Amino acid sequence: MKFLVSLLLLIAVGSNAGPKVYNFRLKNLNNNTVSYKELKGEKLTVIDFWATWCKPCVRSIPKLVEMHNEFSGKGVHFIGISVDGPRNLAKVKPFAKSLGVDYPVLLDTENEVMQRLRVQSVPTLLIINSNDEVVYFTEGYVPGEEKLIRKEILKHLDQ
Amino acid sequence: MKHRILFISIGFLFSCAGKSMAQIYGDNTFEFQYGNLPYKKNRNLTTSYDQLNLFYDQNNISLFGRIEQFMTPIRKRNYFDLTQKRVEYQDKQFDIRIGNFYETIGRGLLLRSYEIPGSVYEDDFYRTRYAFYRDLEGVTIDYKNSWMETKVLRGRPLYNIYPPDIKPDSLRRPDLTEAVQSNFYLTQDVSIGGAIMRSHSDGVPGYHDFGDLMFDANLPMQFQLFGEYTFDTKGKFSSFRKKDSYALYTGLNYYHDSFGLSLEYKNYNKFRLGSGYNDPPSLIKEHTYPVLNRSTHVLETSNETGFQFEFYYNFDGGHSITGNYTTATNKVSNTFHYWEYFLEGSYKVNEYLTLKSFADYAQDELKGEKHRFSAGFTTEKNFNYEWNIILDLEYQTFRRSFDPNRAENYYGSLSVTSIPNITVSAVFEASTDVQLTDDPRTAAIETKTRTWLGGNIRYKISQSNTLDVFAGKRRGGPACTSGICYEILDFEGVEVRFSTRF
Repeated sequence: MKFLVSLLLLIAVGSNAGPKVYNFRLKNLNNNTVSYKELKGEKLTVIDFWATWCKPCVRSIPKLVEMHNEFSGKGVHFIGISVDGPRNLAKVKPFAKSLGVDYPVLLDTENEVMQRLRVQSVPTLLIINSNDEVVYFTEGYVPGEEKLIRKEILKHLDQ
Repeated sequence: MKHRILFISIGFLFSCAGKSMAQIYGDNTFEFQYGNLPYKKNRNLTTSYDQLNLFYDQNNISLFGRIEQFMTPIRKRNYFDLTQKRVEYQDKQFDIRIGNFYETIGRGLLLRSYEIPGSVYEDDFYRTRYAFYRDLEGVTIDYKNSWMETKVLRGRPLYNIYPPDIKPDSLRRPDLTEAVQSNFYLTQDVSIGGAIMRSHSDGVPGYHDFGDLMFDANLPMQFQLFGEYTFDTKGKFSSFRKKDSYALYTGLNYYHDSFGLSLEYKNYNKFRLGSGYNDPPSLIKEHTYPVLNRSTHVLETSNETGFQFEFYYNFDGGHSITGNYTTATNKVSNTFHYWEYFLEGSYKVNEYLTLKSFADYAQDELKGEKHRFSAGFTTEKNFNYEWNIILDLEYQTFRRSFDPNRAENYYGSLSVTSIPNITVSAVFEASTDVQLTDDPRTAAIETKTRTWLGGNIRYKISQSNTLDVFAGKRRGGPACTSGICYEILDFEGVEVRFSTRF
């Protein structure tokens, strides 16, 4: 018990700004491997973790597509990361395209990037600044949260 | 002593992180339970589980460690272990990992590893809680350039039915696998690849050798085709004889504007490898509706053929329709058929109100379920983007081959969210399924309807901290997440989970 208390204290003391996102590599929908650095935005990068079987994801993705169109050309890039395993992999591309997703979608079939970015559920959305620091992190989605996400993007674009 | 060494090591890493470009970060999940599993001894058991994941990055090097701890009054089940550790080097072309890692060959026909973040598993027999994942322990080297990719690995896959308190640790990893996989990008749209793998199980003499061929092509008119064939090299290549071990999987997908479809085919024979470290695509729809999610057909890799067809269409205005047809045949002692029709529609009345419903009709002879009909209705109402309410009602009925009475399952949930931080929900379930109503401790067959009622509160304290509290009764059964299906146990009592990222 003493160990746990000490460890939690250590973690609390050590906590600071979010860690930098590492240069992960994943396959895209065309079976080509791409890296985070190849896709990141000049000013901000929005990463959305989702899955074909996830109901809230289906509702959030069209809102992200709208935001992607709005911020396109303003230094904000969107990346979708599907955490579908091999069981659902064949569905990812038609599913995403039918929802109008035109930003890059990557496949994290072993959930390794998900684990490394400390994501525990889908949908989870991260906003990352030009220094690769996570400046916003939100799990889950209910209608209306896109307004908060948009506000965060505008806030960090101004900084 | 073990605690002290870990503590000093972590402190050392923190001090290093402060002085250089390095960073240390991680997450922690703590779960406390007070309660019991219905029909079990150890009433009012208090248990706690903690999982700490720590990462340390410096330039191209990354270190990772996972510490898990489980505590219960039954001391022999307690453990405190460093259950995963890894050193990784990554540059533009190489990714080298030593320790615990995840790798999948092709679509998982030969080898599949996975992590289901946030999941905590408890088995009915061992009654110990631990993280649910299947990794490999060993070494893997990935190399990539503009026209090819190669991975070489040697590792022992985790047999995740055994909890970390089973010692020695080598018992949890009874198989050794060695594999090489290469993929060549012939054009921007076409790649071909192959793999060879050999595996050895402890206590069994010799190695099994396997070959694997795969291709992926982006075809004209927005079609995409993937195919993979893998086989035991002792058998005759592509003869598909009953005595041979092989697995064939192919998937075709297509999209046009708001329409998308996928069509997949499988033919698996004698293809459960070792302790089950491979996981060919099941081609069974993964449902999130509770009555369907737990009714999933379980893939039988000893012999199964079949296909799955699914389509999506998203209308202007936010409405959508999804349809799925799945069929499978198992030839194990007898011939068993499985089929399922699924249709789901969503209608967006306005910005604040969405209605959704589904209907599903299935038959699973292998499980003895006949004429399974399921339907559900969900409505979601938003109040000025400040409050959100979801009402979900589901019903299922089917006949078991050994029971003349129809089994019925009812599910209802009401969830209220104060956007964005607090969600309160209540879940009610009832079942007349004799497999659930019967008390296994008595000789009589009980048929009285069984019910479950539970409540959840989720409070997002900040972007880094979340608190979940559950109280009441929770129904167990098979559950599928990220394509992985496993059994969760019934629970009644109180459960508190605190997740933090740092």
